[in-house]
Amino acid sequence: MKPVLELQQVRKNRTGEDTRPLFMDVSAHITEPAMIALLGVSGQGKSTLLRMLAALDGIDEGSVGLHGVPQSEMDPRAWRMKVCYVAQQPAMLQGSVEQNLRTVSFLHRIPYEEKLVKQLLPRLGLEHLELGKNAELLSGGEKQRISLLRSLLLRPEVLLLDEVTASLDRGSKELVEQVLQEWHTAEGTTMIWVTHDLEQARQISGQVWFMGEGTLLENSATASFFAGPSTETARNYMQGSSSKEQPCLS
Amino acid sequence: MSILGLSFTLLFVMITMLVSVWQKLGLERDIAIGTIRSAIQLLLVGYVLQFIFNTSNPWFIALILLLMIGVASYHAGKRGKGLRGIVWKIAIAIASTELLMMGLLLGFRIIEATPQYIIPISGMTIGNAMVVSGLLLNQMRREVGSSRGEIETLLSLGATARQAIQDAMKRSVKSSMIPTIDGMKTVGLVQLPGMMTGMIIAGADPIEAVRYQILIVFAFASSAAVTSIILSLLSYREWFTKDLRLLSIEPERKG
Repeated sequence: MKPVLELQQVRKNRTGEDTRPLFMDVSAHITEPAMIALLGVSGQGKSTLLRMLAALDGIDEGSVGLHGVPQSEMDPRAWRMKVCYVAQQPAMLQGSVEQNLRTVSFLHRIPYEEKLVKQLLPRLGLEHLELGKNAELLSGGEKQRISLLRSLLLRPEVLLLDEVTASLDRGSKELVEQVLQEWHTAEGTTMIWVTHDLEQARQISGQVWFMGEGTLLENSATASFFAGPSTETARNYMQGSSSKEQPCLS
Repeated sequence: MSILGLSFTLLFVMITMLVSVWQKLGLERDIAIGTIRSAIQLLLVGYVLQFIFNTSNPWFIALILLLMIGVASYHAGKRGKGLRGIVWKIAIAIASTELLMMGLLLGFRIIEATPQYIIPISGMTIGNAMVVSGLLLNQMRREVGSSRGEIETLLSLGATARQAIQDAMKRSVKSSMIPTIDGMKTVGLVQLPGMMTGMIIAGADPIEAVRYQILIVFAFASSAAVTSIILSLLSYREWFTKDLRLLSIEPERKG
């Protein structure tokens, strides 16, 4: 069977005078719909990797394929409709919340799934939201959830989530996790999720990709990663992150 | 104006030089170059115009217009550095505007088909189109920088280049037209425009001068709109790479 998503020896160079690669030799196969947590300290290029997977940033070397078709041979629009990136900083488009939610329907002239929106809004903790409200006036957390819902309506095969719960309170974060997990089960959507929240990574993912030392250092099942990473760098990262998280857990 | 009178105008240059020296602006060299260039360029244009008016050969008129469009496109093209084929795109936009303007002015016999009318009015139209092109490209550069999140969100959702950049384009077209429209509102109240002033000094009836000025103001408004829209349609794709990624645009250089 052809892999859902395949990364072969992917490399990204830094820009400017620094000639060292940001990362290189990043290879991975996703053979069936999966929930993957992408971990690593800041500056390793996790967001850049997601943007490359979404065809928003160029790949300097190597290739990425979807069901065996390389990104370079596919129309970028068709690719992005299947592999969709949700940014950490949600950008609201001009107009109301509803206009934002109707974006996919408007862009591709497909019916607007109003029923689905009505179902999902309360489940994302947004039942209070007036759809006619100017989207720019929403809070950061509201924007993040609307942006996520806007992308879900595209029904992509692969959803690239860049710290999408970063500005959410604990309750809203748990709601989003639950919705995404159910969506993954029901739709078979693969999700690659950049997060710095180890508890979240442990709960939502079945697989962990750990980026460090300029490459994809570990690619293992979530349970075995959390039982004990095989590299020193990942162990240090886990220790550093858990000591930071301590005050929240107590 | 006599040659002696003309030489006295150098007093203005001296005042500028003195201010520069006094305030240590370091502009003396630029002022000197500017003075010499403007004097030579204008005198040359005077002789060229005199020659063309005397011959009335349509090929010479066409040549002058092409030259004007070329220089204007080259200058406005500096604002679109890094965009593929931008000078040609500006040239097409300006040339289309010029054709439309002259087509209407000559077609409806609003002006006479003589170089005395065609060249100065074309010069003003082309000059205005050049300014509008520069403003549009500058504004697009700013928009692409400040609306990156918005444009990339649309790309992520599978938008075409046109769909992704449409709003930024609309805002830029609007912004490039604002100076011309503001100029329409204050013309005659804040400043007496060059053409009208020139005609009055040359002895024309002020009412006649005003008629021509009205023509120019209206022509400017529509040339701004036409240039801006044509150029935005011709150039929007250039803000993306071939594989539809948004270009990383350097911030606008000052000066």
